[in-house]
Amino acid sequence: MIEVKDLVRQFKSGDRTIKPVNGVSFELEKGTLASIVGKSGSGKSTLLSLLGALDKPTSGDVVVDGVSLAGLPAGKLTEYRRRDIGFVFQQFNLIPNLSAVDNVMLPMEFAGMRKAARLERARSLLEQVQLDPEKQSRRINKLSGGEQQRVAIARALANEPKLILADEPTGNLDEQTGEHIIELLSSLSRDHNTTILVVTHDRSLAQKTERRFRLQQGKLSEETVRPRVAARA
Amino acid sequence: MSVLARSVGNAFRNKIRTAAVVAVLAVAIGLALAMLVANQAVGGKVQELNASVGTVLTVNPAGAQGFDGGGEPLTTAQTATAAAVPNVVSVVGTKALRLETATAASTSTTGTATQQAGPGGGPGGGTSVTTNLQAAIDAGTLGNRNNTSGSTSGSTGSGSTGTGSTGSENTGTAPTFSLPITATGIGAEVDTAGKALNITSGTGLGDYTVASTKALVGTTLATKNNLKAGSTFTIADKTFTVAGIFDAGTTFGNNAVYTTLAEAQALAATPGELSSMVVTVNSMENVDAAKTALQTALGSSKADVTQGQRNLETAVSSLDSVKNISLVAFIAALGTAGLIILLIMVMLVRERRREIGVLKAIGARNRTIGLQFVLEALVLVALGSVVGAAIASFASDGIASALISSNSSTAATTQRGPGGAGFGGPGGNPFGGASQLLTSVTASASPGVIAAGVAAVFGVAVVGALVPALLTARIRPIEVLRGE
Ligand SMILES: Nc1ncnc2c1ncn2[C@@H]1O[C@H](COP(=O)(O)OP(=O)(O)O)[C@@H](O)[C@H]1O
Ligand SMILES: [Mg+2]
Repeated sequence: MIEVKDLVRQFKSGDRTIKPVNGVSFELEKGTLASIVGKSGSGKSTLLSLLGALDKPTSGDVVVDGVSLAGLPAGKLTEYRRRDIGFVFQQFNLIPNLSAVDNVMLPMEFAGMRKAARLERARSLLEQVQLDPEKQSRRINKLSGGEQQRVAIARALANEPKLILADEPTGNLDEQTGEHIIELLSSLSRDHNTTILVVTHDRSLAQKTERRFRLQQGKLSEETVRPRVAARA
Repeated sequence: MSVLARSVGNAFRNKIRTAAVVAVLAVAIGLALAMLVANQAVGGKVQELNASVGTVLTVNPAGAQGFDGGGEPLTTAQTATAAAVPNVVSVVGTKALRLETATAASTSTTGTATQQAGPGGGPGGGTSVTTNLQAAIDAGTLGNRNNTSGSTSGSTGSGSTGTGSTGSENTGTAPTFSLPITATGIGAEVDTAGKALNITSGTGLGDYTVASTKALVGTTLATKNNLKAGSTFTIADKTFTVAGIFDAGTTFGNNAVYTTLAEAQALAATPGELSSMVVTVNSMENVDAAKTALQTALGSSKADVTQGQRNLETAVSSLDSVKNISLVAFIAALGTAGLIILLIMVMLVRERRREIGVLKAIGARNRTIGLQFVLEALVLVALGSVVGAAIASFASDGIASALISSNSSTAATTQRGPGGAGFGGPGGNPFGGASQLLTSVTASASPGVIAAGVAAVFGVAVVGALVPALLTARIRPIEVLRGE
């Protein structure tokens, strides 16, 4: 379970301070697929990087399964990202000169998994994200955007994280491909019982998630909560 | 895919750039290795020279050396005077003879030729006697040129220039010049430079102070005349037995015969006379003091004391400067290689900032990323080293001799032996001069030296790569990812 407690992040630009995240609190049960919508520059990415320990809050805390990030040293935060978090970015951010399988294997290598086990798991994950088997050994820059994002999702799943943070994962994809990606995330959250938080400015995609948040003036508000069953219908 | 595999892959990401980097590295590494090889070769030679020519002084009659010059001869009695000088360990007298091959000698005069004005020789100290030995050195261009005056006088009026000439006085063959053989009477088993004789077969002469018909023959001279230990030959119609064969290490030095001192004095009919004395001093530091003392003891009007290795000293000091230059060049080239690596890696880190940020975001430790970059640098250095070692093994000989010749040209003006003696006259120093020594330095690229050099290159490369690798630790993923 993820608990976010009164999170604040402020930036100083010149003599002006802005607070894109200004007192955000919420909880996510394990296995929830949630979305955050908001205008560009409203602080969605800032919030995600606080949850993923890429950035430190000015105040407040994130508690994951009872462990508070606020008290962790840098090395532990790296370990937290490696073991508990999976990132999916708008720009995919895969390593261009590596193959799809090699990209998926990277987080497992960092976690010290043995090579044979890494390869087997990477292949099975790429199967789950429905990448054509013959494309698994292809270099990343020989794959389409949709395919690259599937590989990125497989990489995010590599170490069975507690939370997947996806920052506008469909932003660089056409509508139909984007829909497939959201469907994929939805089914993965169910199959792996993984908590997934998706940032998007596409309302129709947000409709497909169980919990929907809106970030506005640094504050998070939740729209109607739909029952889980309805979300899968 | 391991860190290493990833590093190798990254090293080849931009093949053209990799090739360029490897080429530049190879030049720097090749230069470093060549300099190291040259340094080692020269260092080895310096050591060898220092060991071989430590503490020997040569005493010649004042105004004479070898067969040239004038003045009063040294005497056996003077050896006692020399031996009494402080720090002198031993004094060995020598008596030089010039052996003329009997047939060659008979073309000008019959019987035993004494006091013949030898080829290239002046009046004075030398004594020529006949032998049945053939010189092992062909006169060649140098010999004939050096001896034009001598052989002209021998062939004047022979009339053999015309075809069909049947000169009765002549043997019918043109009096081709043959080089003399050096015979030296020695008071101990050392050569004229004071170095112990290297007897390769047979034995020494036993007691070197008494007359005996035993002789030591140089290797090439023995081969030329089919001599073995136990064979006989004649000097001045006297039969000598070969006691042993020695190897002086030089062609000139091996065209020589050694007899006991007393025997040589008897052959020359000059008992008690010496051509030179070889004086050994107890240590290098005392050589200069002993030289002065010896000169005073013997009297400067009677004897010239020279330091046998004076020209070697020049050689050693010029070799030493070559050694220093090559060491500095090695370090500079090594530093250049390190700097190239540093700059390339800084460039690569900047170029891949985003990728580094992504790797950190997905949980890579700083040290994993640092290691990846160091390994990538080492891959480049390994390639550079392979090419560089190839360059070095081809270039080091040329570089070493280029270094040496540029250095010895300054040394050459000062390397002349004392007393104005030229390069190795008969009975003189078998080391003709510094230049001869210098060219004998062969800088062969030994695997050990190359390996040590490559190890040094890798050490420097690790240092050069460590700085940019540490830079990666300062990259914060949030900063590079926010660019999207
Ligand atoms: N490191 C930073 N320094 C200064 N301002 C920042 C920094 N990061 C984000 N901001 C500002 O915070 C606001 C929120 O940015 P962001 O979280 O990227 O918005 P969103 O992802 O919702 O479009 C923006 O106005 C942005 O300029
Ligand atoms: Mg954003």
